[in-house]
Amino acid sequence: MPTDLPRLRDGALNLADWLTELQPADCGGLAVFAGTVRNEHEGRAVTGMRYHAHRALAEARLREIEAEAANRFKVVVDVAHAVGELGIGETSVVVIVRGGHRGECFAACRWTIDTIKQAVPIWKEEHYVDGEARFLDGVAIKSIAES
Amino acid sequence: MRVTIECYGASSRWCGADEVPLDLESGQTANDALDLLAKRFPEFAVRRDNIAIAIGNAITSPTTAIEDGDRIALIPPVSAG
Repeated sequence: MPTDLPRLRDGALNLADWLTELQPADCGGLAVFAGTVRNEHEGRAVTGMRYHAHRALAEARLREIEAEAANRFKVVVDVAHAVGELGIGETSVVVIVRGGHRGECFAACRWTIDTIKQAVPIWKEEHYVDGEARFLDGVAIKSIAES
Repeated sequence: MRVTIECYGASSRWCGADEVPLDLESGQTANDALDLLAKRFPEFAVRRDNIAIAIGNAITSPTTAIEDGDRIALIPPVSAG
C-alpha cells in the first residue's frame, strides 16, 4: 500500500489491499495479523461494532508504532485501523510485516498489534442482539515507549 | 476563560455529551478543569483516575496550564484492535 495513505480508515478494511505487490527482493518473510469482529463476547450475541477514535492522535500513534517497530526489529511494517460501523467478520485492524526472516517478522507483528491495543486512542462500542450497546472496558493508554 | 472538554469513548456517556464547555479562571490547569467536570458529572468522577488527557494530538500532563479556547480531550481506557 502507498505509504501516504491514512492509517485510520472509515469502514471495514480489505486485507487483500496490502498483499497485491511482490515482496521486496531482500525480504524472505511476510507476517500478517488481521483483527475481525466476532459474533460473541462474554456470552452475549454481538451484531456489530462501532469503532470510535481520537483521529489526530490515533493517526499519529499508528505511524509512530510503524516507525518504532521498523527500528526495533529491522523490518518494514504497515498498519491500518478502521473507524465507524463494522459488521460481524469484517476486518478492523491489519498489521503487515515484511523482513528478512520469519523470526523478526513474527516478533514485530506481535509487538505491533499488542502496542496498537495499548497505545492508540480507539474505542470499541459493541452492539448486541437485544439492541443494547456498550463501550468495552479497555486499558489506560500507554506511550509507545512503555509498550 | 472558556475551554471545551472533548469526551471520547465511554466518557461521552459519563458526561452526557460529546463536548462540554467549561468556564475557568485564568491561569488554571487541565487538572482544575477535570475537578470542575467531576463536580458536574458523578459518573466521570468515579472513573477519573484512569483517564488521560490530550491537547492537540499529544497526551498532556494534567498539570499543564490551559488557555482560553483550548480543547481538552478525555482519553478513557482504550480498546483498539
